[in-house]
Amino acid sequence: MSQARRHLGSFDGILFLSALALQLIGLVVIYSSTVGTPSAGAFQRQAMWMALGMTGLLIVLVIDYHTLAEFSVVFYAGCCVLLLLTIVFGRVVNASKSWLGAGGVQFQPSELAKVATILMVAAYLGRDQVRGLGFVRFAAVSGIVGLPVLLIMQQPDLGTAATFMPLLVGASFLAGLRIRTIVILTLIVALALPLVWGHLKPYQKERVKIFLEPTRDPKGAGYQLIQSLIAVGSGGVTGKGFLSGTQGSLQFLPEQHTDFVLAVVAEERGFIGSALVLALYFVVLTRCIATARGARDRLGAFIAMGVACVYGGQALINIGVVLGVLPTTGVPLPLLSYGGSCLVSTLLGLGLVLNVHMRRLVN
Amino acid sequence: MRPLRDPRDYQEERRLGARVTVIQVLFGAVLAVYLMTFWYLQVVRADYYRRLSDSNHLRRVTIAAERGLITDVEERPLVGNRIAFNIRLDREKTENLDALLPRLATVLNVSEATLRDRLARARGRPRFEPVVLKEDVDLKEVAWIEARRLELPMLSVEIESRREYPHGDLAAHVLGYVGEATEEQVKSDPEDLFDLGDIVGKAGLEREYETSLHGIKGWKEVVVNSHGREMQEVGEGRPPSPGHALRLTIDLDLQRTLEEAYGEELGSAVFLDAKTGAVLAMISRPAFDPNVFAHRFSQDVWQSLVRDPRHPLQDRVSLSKFAPGSVFKVVMTIAALEEGVAKPERLDHCTGSWRFGERVFQCWGIRKGGHGWVDMRQALIESCNVYFYRLGNEMGIEKIAKWAHLLGFGQATGIDLPHEESGTVPDPDWKAKAVPRDPIWHPGETISVAIGQGALEVTPLQMAVFAATVGSGGTVLKPHLVQAREAREGVEQGNDNDAVLRHLPLHPETIKVVKEAMWGVVNEAGGTGAKARIEAYDVCGKTGTAQVFKVSRDIDADKLPKDKRDHAWFVGFAPKDDPQIAFAVFVQNGGHGGTVSAPIAKAVLERFFAQREGLKGGLSVASAAPPR
Repeated sequence: MSQARRHLGSFDGILFLSALALQLIGLVVIYSSTVGTPSAGAFQRQAMWMALGMTGLLIVLVIDYHTLAEFSVVFYAGCCVLLLLTIVFGRVVNASKSWLGAGGVQFQPSELAKVATILMVAAYLGRDQVRGLGFVRFAAVSGIVGLPVLLIMQQPDLGTAATFMPLLVGASFLAGLRIRTIVILTLIVALALPLVWGHLKPYQKERVKIFLEPTRDPKGAGYQLIQSLIAVGSGGVTGKGFLSGTQGSLQFLPEQHTDFVLAVVAEERGFIGSALVLALYFVVLTRCIATARGARDRLGAFIAMGVACVYGGQALINIGVVLGVLPTTGVPLPLLSYGGSCLVSTLLGLGLVLNVHMRRLVN
Repeated sequence: MRPLRDPRDYQEERRLGARVTVIQVLFGAVLAVYLMTFWYLQVVRADYYRRLSDSNHLRRVTIAAERGLITDVEERPLVGNRIAFNIRLDREKTENLDALLPRLATVLNVSEATLRDRLARARGRPRFEPVVLKEDVDLKEVAWIEARRLELPMLSVEIESRREYPHGDLAAHVLGYVGEATEEQVKSDPEDLFDLGDIVGKAGLEREYETSLHGIKGWKEVVVNSHGREMQEVGEGRPPSPGHALRLTIDLDLQRTLEEAYGEELGSAVFLDAKTGAVLAMISRPAFDPNVFAHRFSQDVWQSLVRDPRHPLQDRVSLSKFAPGSVFKVVMTIAALEEGVAKPERLDHCTGSWRFGERVFQCWGIRKGGHGWVDMRQALIESCNVYFYRLGNEMGIEKIAKWAHLLGFGQATGIDLPHEESGTVPDPDWKAKAVPRDPIWHPGETISVAIGQGALEVTPLQMAVFAATVGSGGTVLKPHLVQAREAREGVEQGNDNDAVLRHLPLHPETIKVVKEAMWGVVNEAGGTGAKARIEAYDVCGKTGTAQVFKVSRDIDADKLPKDKRDHAWFVGFAPKDDPQIAFAVFVQNGGHGGTVSAPIAKAVLERFFAQREGLKGGLSVASAAPPR
């Protein structure tokens, strides 16, 4: 039995199909919530990005993840350079420079940096001889994650920067971060928090305040949150139906096809739809974690867990915002939201997981 | 995981597995919490959020109902609706406003400043809402705009229904006018027909029959987006049902005749069908043009009408009260005969004045040395004051007041208009309440009342109803303006039986004396109402003069031309034996009753009888009067 055929037999079809289902749901909702609005056309663009992302996924799948890990420093360094370029030459959208243009195609290097950082952290922590995570090595991991985060914060795009945090926490925890280190870190963070608050931009402070008290400014910043809850709640059990949602297509809900795409799913498909989406995410995450468990080596486990933490964490943050349990962060929902960079990045991450899963059996 | 070479590695693998489980449980727990949150929002609170969502995007837009028409008795239009065109500007389609405005100002014939002002006022409104640049433009302007659709796509023509009074100020006080509903009116609208700012009747019949005329507005439900722009109509809705038409008892021909005959005088006149109390013609001067109220007129027009010292908005038929003057002697005659205080043969001698206590009461006959010996009929024809001074003194105020009330004075006639003045019939009880400074009734006051002066006040409408009562021999009618009105189902005819308020059991002798005297006023040589005489139609009437100072509170004398002449009355009916028409003509500062008022009555009566004859035999006015 050839290696390729054995690999093919080990392909995680459930993970792939669940992810595909989420993307297709995303496409339908993007169409339904943007038809007749200034954002119409998002559907076609998303379909093109999906094709591109799938191609990327295949490329990542074909190359052994050990080889990819060997080159992780190159990817990582490349991404950091791109982030630097973004800060200098980036296009300003919504008061932040997070887009880099290349021949008419715009993309966000910060999304690409996620994949590179996951690979880099896994390559560092995944060496078999490493056991436990002391302060020095924790500092090293923090550095690896911190560099792109710092660069992204310069754009400034706090939401995307925040999605790197689950990677640092998750990877450190997996590597065996000592209790003593956790206590020290908690203290440092607690002391730094007032300093961070002082450095937040006024709109960022407002977001946190609005989260704590949504009716504070129902027409302004609290509006989005209230409209999101109305969209979700008004969907009821069965939803208003395809193209029949009113919150999104009549533009009551801003960012209806990007950050609040799940609110539109909930409105048009009801509780059945939202439960289905949650279930699919649960399957995707479970498959990623199962891949980590069954991985051939620590490198594979760390890659799979890194992807689960980054994109799973991002999904949980996004859903929390839609449900009003977290402050508005501006983070898209992986696989479902409109946005090419995020979709491609997520598909590359899933490609890595599928890669690890496919090569879990030693020759 | 793979077999291990080192026990410590093995231990580490187990720990790693445990940590993976922790993360997995964490993810699962958060997803479970989210699932419960979705369940709470979408299942438990679904109705609440559904309502919020509906109120977000569904708007109920009302559609105004066409107002009911008003016609005369022959169904000739008196009030209608017409289409008005407004020019509107769509700001979303406007690119170079500064270049466009001067051009529009020229075409629409308005100043650029006015246009800029209109745009400035709309600044707070959503941009997709067009701004009305000019209201009620003529067809030429509409054509100019329509012809430039491609060139000026930002301009559009809005069609609006407007109330129209085709005859201008004709019968303006009867018809009334419309305007935007005030908060007060909306509150007192039990059937919830209109909202704040809707066009509703403000005066006259427009107001009295508001619930019939207004119609029931329709509505449609529309979907709006977050900017309030209408996206589509939802299936639900109700078309408006138009208001019901009113057919009046007013006859346009008679009304026109009255308006022409009345000329430029101030005052009022009303002509009733003597059998039914139906108002045939009714005028109040000065008048106003109700058309100026039909659109959102400028404040100046309203102010000038309200501030006009002549009070053009006041209906002088039913809302102004004046001393009845000598016309009241008819009431005195009826009262004296019915109470048995005097017989028609009662003779009295007039020397031109009568001393009562400290005061000397004048008779207008003083110039020729008094009326001499007169009986009751003669005293009424010649309007001898002294005769009625003494008669009043003998009778006493209570009996006078009793008969004045029975004959319809001191109370509303019940005409179908929104407001009506009751007038005043003074007696000791009234004075005790009304004049606390001097609550005692003096006998001299009875003497003033006896010739229709003093505190006595009547409306011209009461006078006309009174004339009909005398003519019919004691039937008190309720005057009315509406002949028929469309009801929700079919047509509801005005019921003439309802028009009879009461029958007074007057003695035939009483009626005979009064009618003979009133016939004499018009038809005997030297009668004061001679100018109302029409051959073959036995017009009966009584003239009267009301002293101006008595009514000075109704008009601001300082602002008027210093005309000290008295107000002139002419009240009567015709023909004598079977009265068809009853009337009261009142001319402010008209001097003596017969001079100004009687010819006005004559003009209308001639027209009235010509019409009746025409209906019977197709005869013209001239040939209708047989030689006597």
